[in-house]
Amino acid sequence: MLADDAILFREGLARILTDMGFDVIGQYGDGDALVRAARADPPDVAVLDLRMPPGFADEGIEAARAIRAATPAVGLMLLSQYVEIHHALRLATEFDGGVGYLLKDRVSDLHVLGAELRRVAGGGTVIDPDLVVRLVARRREDDPLGRLTDRERAVLALMARGHSNTAIASDLFLSVKTVEAHVTSIFVKLDLTPGDRDHRRVLAVLRFLRA
Amino acid sequence: MVRIPPRVIGPAGGLTVTVLVAGGFALGLRLDNLHNGLLAVAFTAVGLYVVRQRPDNREAWLFVATGIAQAAMFAARQYGLHTPALPAASWIGWLGVWPLPLVFVLIAVTLMSFPTGRLPAPSWRVVVVMLAVLGVALALMSALWPVEYERVPLAAPHPLDLPGADTAAAVHRVAMAIGYPAFQLAWVVCAIARLVRAEGDESRQLRWFVLAMAMTGVVMGVGLIGWGTPRPGLLAVPLVPVAAGAAVLRYRLYDVDPIIRATLVWGAMAAVVTLGYAVVVVAVGNLIGGSGTLLELLATALVAVVFGPLRGRAQRVADRVVYGRRASPYELLSRLSAQLTGPSSGLLDGLCATVADGTGARQVVLWTGPPDGLRAVSAWPAGCPPEVRTLDELAPGEPSLGGRSGGRPALGGCAVPVTYAGRTIGALAVTTGTRRSWTSQERGLLADLAAQAGLVLELRASAQRLVAAGDEARRRLERDLHDGAQQRLVTVAMELGALARSAAGAAASAERVAEGAAISAGRVEGAAVFAERAEAARQQLLQATAELRETARGLHPAVLTQDGLQAALGYLADRSALPVRLRVDVDRRLAPAVEATAYFVVSEGLTNAAKHARAQVTTVTAELTEQGLALEVGDDGVGGARPQPGSGLEGLTDRLAALDARLLVDSGPAGTRLRTVIPCG
Repeated sequence: MLADDAILFREGLARILTDMGFDVIGQYGDGDALVRAARADPPDVAVLDLRMPPGFADEGIEAARAIRAATPAVGLMLLSQYVEIHHALRLATEFDGGVGYLLKDRVSDLHVLGAELRRVAGGGTVIDPDLVVRLVARRREDDPLGRLTDRERAVLALMARGHSNTAIASDLFLSVKTVEAHVTSIFVKLDLTPGDRDHRRVLAVLRFLRA
Repeated sequence: MVRIPPRVIGPAGGLTVTVLVAGGFALGLRLDNLHNGLLAVAFTAVGLYVVRQRPDNREAWLFVATGIAQAAMFAARQYGLHTPALPAASWIGWLGVWPLPLVFVLIAVTLMSFPTGRLPAPSWRVVVVMLAVLGVALALMSALWPVEYERVPLAAPHPLDLPGADTAAAVHRVAMAIGYPAFQLAWVVCAIARLVRAEGDESRQLRWFVLAMAMTGVVMGVGLIGWGTPRPGLLAVPLVPVAAGAAVLRYRLYDVDPIIRATLVWGAMAAVVTLGYAVVVVAVGNLIGGSGTLLELLATALVAVVFGPLRGRAQRVADRVVYGRRASPYELLSRLSAQLTGPSSGLLDGLCATVADGTGARQVVLWTGPPDGLRAVSAWPAGCPPEVRTLDELAPGEPSLGGRSGGRPALGGCAVPVTYAGRTIGALAVTTGTRRSWTSQERGLLADLAAQAGLVLELRASAQRLVAAGDEARRRLERDLHDGAQQRLVTVAMELGALARSAAGAAASAERVAEGAAISAGRVEGAAVFAERAEAARQQLLQATAELRETARGLHPAVLTQDGLQAALGYLADRSALPVRLRVDVDRRLAPAVEATAYFVVSEGLTNAAKHARAQVTTVTAELTEQGLALEVGDDGVGGARPQPGSGLEGLTDRLAALDARLLVDSGPAGTRLRTVIPCG
């Protein structure tokens, strides 16, 4: 189920998703229409533009909240021309997983898009790599990230994007055990409390990177 | 009782006085009686002139009465003084002597009643009664015994020859010693009391009067000290009624303050110079036992050296005495134009301070907006009242300016509408002490300043409109890019991605097929190359969208409009090439122009710090204070930031000025600090 006020983009996205084997069951021009449709016939994932009519502000997040309140099982993928840290934090705080936040550019990378949509549908959290790269690259005074090894920094970035240990292991061609060791080391070095779930971990890491 | 109309009494009184004075002078010129004649003419002429202009002026009638009494006494005295003695000189001369105390009382009452024709307060009636009792007693003694004849060399003796002349003379001497000074003292004290409590036009009228009194006093003093005779002083007394008449009719035309000021300055200077001269010549001469030309030369040189600085000081003291804290209208207008042509920041505050200076007000508030919804934009002393007012509330009974005529306004202030091109765009409200009302000159000054304020407000409004229009244009451009080009490019990239994917898929399946069948390796390779090039094109397109996104963000950050200053400054800090210590304490949304300006200040500050300052760390603080949004961007770099023409800092200065804010650039070896406070209501 899609909602975006830019028809061209929406149509193109629908066609590509269909080609990739997704079943697009509805397309809408604004958040309210999507919320009504999702309530009537809940999809696995709703893909929404963050900035939509009428206010072109954060209607996407409001619509996502409404859908989550009515039908908690629906995965929510927010797309935007910009990725903003405070939106990411808001999504991580207000939604307990099953939510994604990607730059619109990302949808042209089709297999990535497909994988991320499936993760969101499965209750995972997805944060755009651009945002994470920006946060990790951020200049800090006596940078705590300097205490991490390069490998640990790479693991931290994937954690911030919502990847589970298994996903991190396959991304970096490591064993799950090695990844777990890195994660523990990161949490100790940064003095963070590890979350019991991947989603909690995303929030903790994002907050840390933002601080 | 038949009431005689003023147009009969006036000419009749005038004719009587003319006959009496002309007749008196026809008998010869007597220096010791001259002042009585002049006083009679002065009082009557001024009184009648004022009556003609303002028949309802009570004071004028008192003048006429005084003039007639003076004339009668003058004529009788002239007759009695004539030598050789004229027929019935004894009785007629007598008529010119004994009414003197009564005339004194009449003059005192007349002057005490100036300028309204009424005593300043009912309690003064007691004084008048006492004066009258004293006057009647003195006149009675003088009528029965020749107690005054020693001072007036009449040709014929006192007509009566009653016993007890010696006792009467003794009693009279005491009574006169009390009475005559009492008559003068009463009206002088009364005039001073009135001046102290006077306000507005009345104060201005009294200044004329006091000036004449002071001048007469000076002439009297000079005469007594210089020549040992009160005659020059007595001859100067007619100045008082003349000045009084001018005060009633002409106080609006001639500003007497500069004359009083000059009198004070030159009087003080004369005293200082004389004293200095005397000290040098006499005291130093005695001390060193020398005298003559050398000392006089020395004294002259000394006086010449100290003259200039002393004069400046005396001038300032006199200014303070005459004007209080108030500056002259010319000074004010020139100060205001200096404000207008100088650095434009703080223009409105400068305007309010100028108005306060010019009117001696306790509070000056400049309001802007439509007449039914005025908001305070600037105030002196600092601190704008937060409420919204209407013009009617500020200036009840406009356009009387809250003067005496329309009843006293509760605050003892007044407000004038500020207009531009016929539209009311604000109001200038001035609050003074509770008792004060406004002179016509002050009202004129206020109107002039309000006209200037109209210009300033319009300039400011147009600058604000320009900034707002610029922001709006950038915002619209960003929206257009976001909704148009960016969406389209992303869609094309998506299509390219799909193409690359299907081409790659085609190549892979063709390869599988090629293994078993006779499909040319060229077709397989062709599909693979196509997939590769489509992917390369997609990457380039993504690069382009990323650049476009940055451009759009530079035009106007969407995050600012959507999420406010805190989020936008956070974004700037994240993107900064230097570490940023960011502290934002803004718990509400501000006006778009304020937020955008704050954003650009921080953006420019961070960019400069990274580009030019060779800094290690930057500090950004933004907090809401009572004065507005306080911003500070600091770094620990090498300094050297200045708002040069065409620089980003100059652009910020202009932008801030449109919001009544000033950019303080403090740049030195210890780093650079940009500070500003943007008023945001």
